[in-house]
Amino acid sequence: MSEAVQTLGVLGTRASELLMKMLMIRAFEETAEELYMLGKTHGTMHLSIGQEATAVGASAALKEGDYLLNTHRGHGHCLAWFGGDADAMMAEFLGKETGYCRGRGGSMHIANVDTNNLGANGIVGGGIPISTGVGLSIQLRNTDQVCLTVFGDGASNEGAFHESLNMASIWKLPVIYFCENNQYAMSMPIQKGAAIDRISKRADSYSMPGVTVDGNDVLAVYEAVCKAAIHARAGNGPTLIEALTYRHKGHSRSDKQAYRTRDEVLEWQRQDPIRRWADQMGLSAAELDALKTQAQQQIAKSVAFAEASPEPNLDSIMDGVYA
Amino acid sequence: MRELTYVEALKEALRQKMHADPRVFLFGEDIGVYGGAFGVTAGLQQEFGPARVRDTPISEAAIAGLAVGAAVTGMRPVGEIQFMDFVTLSMEQLVLQGAKMRYMFGGKATVPLVLRMPAGGGTGAAAQHSESLENWFVHVPGLKVVMPSNPYDAKGLLIAAIEDMNPVIFIEHKLLYKMKGDVPEDMYTVPLSNTRIVREGKHLTVVATSLMVSRALEAANTLAQDGIEIEVIDPRTLSPLDDAPIFESVKKTGKALIVHEACQNGGFGGEVVARIAGSAAFDYLEAPIKRLAGLDIPMPYNRELERAAIPQVEDIVREARKLAGGKY
Amino acid sequence: MKSIIMPKLGFTMTESTIVQWLKQEGDAVTQGEPIAEITTDKVNMEVEAPEDGILAGFKFHEGDTVPVTEVIAYVLKPGESLPKETGRLGSRDDGRPTTRSQAPATSSQPPAATPIAARMATELGIDLTSVKGSGPAGRITREDITAFVEALPSNPSVSAPVGNGRVRATPNARRLARKADVDLVNVTGTGPNGRVQGDDVRAAVETVTSAIPIVNSQLAMVNPPRSLPYTGMRKTIGTRLQHSYQQVPHITLDMDVDTSGAEALRARANASLKAGATKIGLTAIITKACAWALQRHPLLNSQLDEAAGVITLLDEINIGIAVALENGLIVPVIHQANTKGIGQIAADISDLSARAKANKLKAHDIQGGTFSISNLGMFGVDRFTAIINPPETAILAVGASKPTFVADANGQPVLRPMLTLRLSADHRVIDGAVAAQFLADVRAAIESPALMTL
Repeated sequence: MSEAVQTLGVLGTRASELLMKMLMIRAFEETAEELYMLGKTHGTMHLSIGQEATAVGASAALKEGDYLLNTHRGHGHCLAWFGGDADAMMAEFLGKETGYCRGRGGSMHIANVDTNNLGANGIVGGGIPISTGVGLSIQLRNTDQVCLTVFGDGASNEGAFHESLNMASIWKLPVIYFCENNQYAMSMPIQKGAAIDRISKRADSYSMPGVTVDGNDVLAVYEAVCKAAIHARAGNGPTLIEALTYRHKGHSRSDKQAYRTRDEVLEWQRQDPIRRWADQMGLSAAELDALKTQAQQQIAKSVAFAEASPEPNLDSIMDGVYA
Repeated sequence: MRELTYVEALKEALRQKMHADPRVFLFGEDIGVYGGAFGVTAGLQQEFGPARVRDTPISEAAIAGLAVGAAVTGMRPVGEIQFMDFVTLSMEQLVLQGAKMRYMFGGKATVPLVLRMPAGGGTGAAAQHSESLENWFVHVPGLKVVMPSNPYDAKGLLIAAIEDMNPVIFIEHKLLYKMKGDVPEDMYTVPLSNTRIVREGKHLTVVATSLMVSRALEAANTLAQDGIEIEVIDPRTLSPLDDAPIFESVKKTGKALIVHEACQNGGFGGEVVARIAGSAAFDYLEAPIKRLAGLDIPMPYNRELERAAIPQVEDIVREARKLAGGKY
Repeated sequence: MKSIIMPKLGFTMTESTIVQWLKQEGDAVTQGEPIAEITTDKVNMEVEAPEDGILAGFKFHEGDTVPVTEVIAYVLKPGESLPKETGRLGSRDDGRPTTRSQAPATSSQPPAATPIAARMATELGIDLTSVKGSGPAGRITREDITAFVEALPSNPSVSAPVGNGRVRATPNARRLARKADVDLVNVTGTGPNGRVQGDDVRAAVETVTSAIPIVNSQLAMVNPPRSLPYTGMRKTIGTRLQHSYQQVPHITLDMDVDTSGAEALRARANASLKAGATKIGLTAIITKACAWALQRHPLLNSQLDEAAGVITLLDEINIGIAVALENGLIVPVIHQANTKGIGQIAADISDLSARAKANKLKAHDIQGGTFSISNLGMFGVDRFTAIINPPETAILAVGASKPTFVADANGQPVLRPMLTLRLSADHRVIDGAVAAQFLADVRAAIESPALMTL
């Protein structure tokens, strides 16, 4: 265990909490995949299997009242965030009235505004300019909140990424720009798409701290976000964190994955963040299995809740266009 | 009553709201020290400081993102896009995020932003600085689109827009900035989605927006000399549109002409024509419903070409005469 | 044990084909290992084993197309066996169907129709697939065809009264006309291109005196307008008649007929009518006589197709009886008059005539005519020449019956009720002798109705 772990007291209940959260995300995603293949969901979905550590590590480092914006691959982040409720998430995934967004948003737009989760986003990089606005809002209101904005390696090539980091830096906005670099922007490998070898180096262009961490090490993620949050809350401005990770599944369910080899996938699967954390905690395979089953049972309950929930009433279709 | 220019009326609205509500803040390119490209925010940074009247880099996508992010977290941002033309760079944040967050999140978010922008031609600024893109935003559910035609409406509508809980696209015409009019000193609102009958008349209904309202009124004076009385209607808010007064007017006159500067093809005029034709007013029509709009061309640079590309007073007079005189 | 289903891998995917089994039954597989390759609408994809175990119970062959979510195989844990209802998948040629694709939902069979409906559709040139069937099992009935035709926009060859639908008028004018119950056909338009405007309708309404509608029959007018519109029905009639007059060489033949025999029949028949039955008139007897005679002289119940070089002798004998209306003329048809008794024909004439005047005729009532009769006798006309009603080849004009002195068998003058029949026939098809023989049979049948029982 690192010093940071000892000082921040992540041992004990918090360690199990992190593991359980990752297991819940894994179970949720696997179940979502099953439901999709059974034809029970409408539309598509983007699974974050393999990326549990970034979601759990990042949110664990923040406190209630902080803001979150994340990506189209956002089930994990939404679940890991404060108040993340698998029932409401599953219901939203199935388009039901009891879902977080009353069935209007679906997989890519799940938000829990009450706990400052300002949404997954269907547009690559769509949350980045918004998070800059959130940062400005925090600064003008003079609170110690921070805004965590999660995006992928592909988003770091969007124009809006550059505009936002520039602006956040000149004004020292309390934003944590968290890049989940899972090596591929859909089918485009990061090496081919970005004119730089480490996305964190882009921080230099915007005079902000930039750091690359092992995104499959939940503790490393936790530490990096903690540091960035302290930095932001002290009024010192934004940080760019690059977390190296991998998605075990294709971009979306209709992705054949012709752009990567099975060996590469297997190689990354050996770096499974859940197994690694369990090892660090000293759990046996059987103990891990038991917890896995527990998570699956919880998610099964969520599925039952969601399936039993009502569809939105057609009469309410115009609700919510205007306030 | 004292007279203010359209610019002064807008500035007064901003100032009064910023005093009344600490959540209101302004941002945009060159709005602080420079006072805004058209002077609307001149002096405000001295009064409220650089945090609340904030110059931004040239980053329209991020500027729109600022508006969305600040609005959804409880502030009342009023951003400025320097020329409506540049709002094209803000489209994703406005259309896919700001306009939709409330609906996508099941009605659980509000985005009370205002984005102001000068629009229109007639200044020789040519194709990339003369746009009138209001109908792009009319076409996005979730957004409100406002176009004040005079100083009184400018102040009242801007205050109402800031107080409205929805994202509002607030479109000012460059050639209206110097227009003078009576403006009360207190902080008043002109309600959004409230169509105004500016001038009554029985021979023809003329629906006009923005700069075209003044031109229609001028035309009305000319036509009145020949006994032709046109009724001039200003929707003020294009979306959501308060269309009932338009239908009532057409029932009275039996004839309608829609006038706007934006080019005709796919313009707001089509929306109004379709609504009239589909309403009870249809049975009272004596003539086809007509549009008088900008030519379907990018704004030309040459002065005479530019003039020909935009409806002028004499164009309105001519079209009104044709309709009122039975030539259609 | 876990079942492996054909996964839904795309929004619109409903089925997929197994390209290849990558593993065999009985192979050990690990979770996530690909076991089959399948097609999707984009590229081929792989189906993975959902857990570790032994692959078993293949339900399909390579090349089979399987609906999504259908079970294709199982993964068994050691010691487990397949569910009972899983049969062994036989070899391809064991006769069992190998594909399970659904039949297409829409078939290309023509919809079922009753025989009458089918014939009407053929006559009227209607595509049965566009008719909604209201009969049992969606069968198309005669009523359905009739309703379909009624719903069609008016056809200029149908001489139904045309009103507000065919006049150029502003919406406001139409509204005012509806309110004032004014037929726009009768309003002069002063708008661009002769469009009727609100003011025009107002003006028209003002010139009407309370008792008399603006323009009714041309027989009596109190405030005759200086002009009438030549539009709508008037024009339709005019165009057709002009064409017939100019293009068809008419030969006309007169015969005077003694109606006493027919009158006697009439009197006897009407005396013994059932309650509510229509009284029999002379026209009904003349109609029946014509129908009978047409059976004996089919050339007068024919159609000429000059271009194809064919004279078609028609099977049905459908006789049109001209009816005068306020704004013109219409010719409702008594279908298969040869199969009907005089009483039925009389009832038909009465019904059609009433409905014609009330503007309630249906398409069927005015279509399919093969011969026409026009009777101006009630107006006192002695004899007149009727213009053939195309595509028919003959028409009979009936004059008034008047007591006339004729010579009896002994050469003595006797007073007899005589009327003149004038037959117009298309001389391209019907020669004088043929026409004369037909007309002679008509006269004989009218003078001695009992002949028609032969």
